[in-house]
Amino acid sequence: MVINVKNLVKRYGDLIALDHFNLEVQEGEILGLLGPNGSGKTTAINCILSLLKYDKGTIEIFDQPMSPDAYDIKRDVGIVMQNVAVFEELTVYENIDYFCGLYIADRQTRKKRVAEAIDFVGLNDFIKFFPKKLSGGLLRRLNIACGIAHQPKLIILDEPTVAVDPQSRNNILEGIQKLNRQGATIIYTSHYMEEVEQIASRIAIMDKGKIIAMGTNEELKKKIKSGEHINLELLNPEDLDLEAIKALPHIISAELTDHQLVVKSGRDKNNLIAILDHLKDQNIAIGKIYSEPPTLNDVFLEITGKELRD
Amino acid sequence: MQVYKAFFRIIQKNRSQIAIYLVVFMVLALLLTNAYTPPQDTDFTKTRFNIAFINEDGDSELVDGLKTYLGENANLVDLPDDPQQLQDALFFRQVVYILRVPKGFTAAMLNGQEVQLEKTIVPDSPSNIYMDLLINKYLNSAQTYFAYLPGLSQDQLVDYLKVDLAEETAVTVISGSSHSANAEKSGYYFNYISYSLFAILILGVCSVMLVFNDTDLKRRNLCSPIRSATMNFQMILGNLSFAVLTWLVLISASFVMYGSYMFTTNGLLLLLNSFIFTLAALSISYLIGNLVKSRGAMSAVANVFALGTSFLSGVFVPQELLGANVLTIASFTPTYWYVKANNEIANAVSFNAGNLQSIFTSMVLVLAFGVAVLGVTLVLIKQRRVEA
Repeated sequence: MVINVKNLVKRYGDLIALDHFNLEVQEGEILGLLGPNGSGKTTAINCILSLLKYDKGTIEIFDQPMSPDAYDIKRDVGIVMQNVAVFEELTVYENIDYFCGLYIADRQTRKKRVAEAIDFVGLNDFIKFFPKKLSGGLLRRLNIACGIAHQPKLIILDEPTVAVDPQSRNNILEGIQKLNRQGATIIYTSHYMEEVEQIASRIAIMDKGKIIAMGTNEELKKKIKSGEHINLELLNPEDLDLEAIKALPHIISAELTDHQLVVKSGRDKNNLIAILDHLKDQNIAIGKIYSEPPTLNDVFLEITGKELRD
Repeated sequence: MQVYKAFFRIIQKNRSQIAIYLVVFMVLALLLTNAYTPPQDTDFTKTRFNIAFINEDGDSELVDGLKTYLGENANLVDLPDDPQQLQDALFFRQVVYILRVPKGFTAAMLNGQEVQLEKTIVPDSPSNIYMDLLINKYLNSAQTYFAYLPGLSQDQLVDYLKVDLAEETAVTVISGSSHSANAEKSGYYFNYISYSLFAILILGVCSVMLVFNDTDLKRRNLCSPIRSATMNFQMILGNLSFAVLTWLVLISASFVMYGSYMFTTNGLLLLLNSFIFTLAALSISYLIGNLVKSRGAMSAVANVFALGTSFLSGVFVPQELLGANVLTIASFTPTYWYVKANNEIANAVSFNAGNLQSIFTSMVLVLAFGVAVLGVTLVLIKQRRVEA
């Protein structure tokens, strides 16, 4: 097992930041740690990395107890912090070389790894730039290159796409999947469920310092009652009998906002035909129709009663 | 040596700011040092005191000869033989020495009897010794002539004495040599560089430590497998290299200004003292670098600390002119001991166990300051390795 965290408790005065937090990460997987802001993701990562003292619990990485002096473990761990952590006084190349040099002493090997990391994040044209001259997306890429240049077995990325444009975000996510294909185990924390859904082989959903659900994307969605969401644009919504829609079989909820009707059905149930027939009977004209599967937000909503985006 | 290399890349990025400080401090030090002119004694003039001569022995060529001789070496002031007026003249320093020749003095001298002159003096005045020497010289010479030329008349005796006592000793003043001037000026310069050293080291070290102590970078470094001891070693080595470079630049000016004097014992001791002080200043700068959180605070601390300790410890105002309370407070700073040792080295004409012990004691104290502060800093760094 790559990471094994048991009963981790971290308190800040009266506030319990981590409440008997448990986590197991298997070799070769991408574990997405999903949770709203303030749910304890970064605190958990900082404890795992021994950057924070904790009150209770055990942490093992590569089956060895983790501590501030566990240098052999640290050698195989790569970290990409939530905030960009690079030297303003060093160029792109010098920054990557500095961080890689903390792990790899041999100059030739380091030179090769730095070149590979620059290539990997696509910063070849910017190696002589100072961080101040880079855009937000390029800066994030530099941050990632500094974290992965030594080619670690375990890479922890703590919200690496915050404030990054969509194009750069896609590049970063593709890069992470590539790293995983090259053999790295990855922990990816985010509050963007789309990102986690896109890349994670397993997802842990956090709230109030503990993991409230864990599994693959499909497994998590199977844990909830709701299935597909049917979205309908109604041209004459004033004629709609919403209660009649709610009374249809397998309907969990129906909400009308302006001209938009959103109907949630039970899992593995298809109500589209029945709904369309009902609307036809009521002489309600329909503009657009589309259906979408349940999201992780639905999972979070059903478990916690609040939106993941809150 | 990633940390060491990064240290100098950061210093290099701040080089213009450090260079400005270095140049300004050096120019100021040179101007202030050269503006100071030590007193130069190039002439020698015999001091002439005001004395009163009261003769109770009547007509005596011997006594007249004595009076003439004293008149050549002092100013004879005519005073009436009135005890009250004579006392007043002494009190108001109208005269500093009153010589009374008692009745029968010449006869007693000629007969080889022991006889004493009476004198009234201002207590603890250097004039007393000088006048005694003159009188003894005259009378001893006279006694020698009486002893070896018994038939000599008073006329002849006074003539002989006149010739003998007219002999002068040539005086050459050597106290105004360039060695002495260099000693005072170099002492002043080395005192002043304590201010420059402190300010530049605090600025340089803090600008690097601010970067390395940035929360995100610090955490990122802590995630790496670099050992705490290795990190500290490289950081201290970087700081030490920077401090030695700064010291070399600052002392280079002393070689230009004082030349071969810097290779004398005084010069070499000044260099040793300044090097030890550099280590202590570096240690304190390292502590400050680990405490300050912003560039604004860094500049403020650099100025307040460097200026404050310099004023307290006698860099700008001589320690002799500072009050006892100020010096007591100053003795808790390494600058005080550094300046004290500098002054002792600069003032020493020769070195013996006594003054060397005092100089080295001050140096050891400065070094002890450095070691103690470094110890505190390392403990602080260790405690901050993991956040609570």
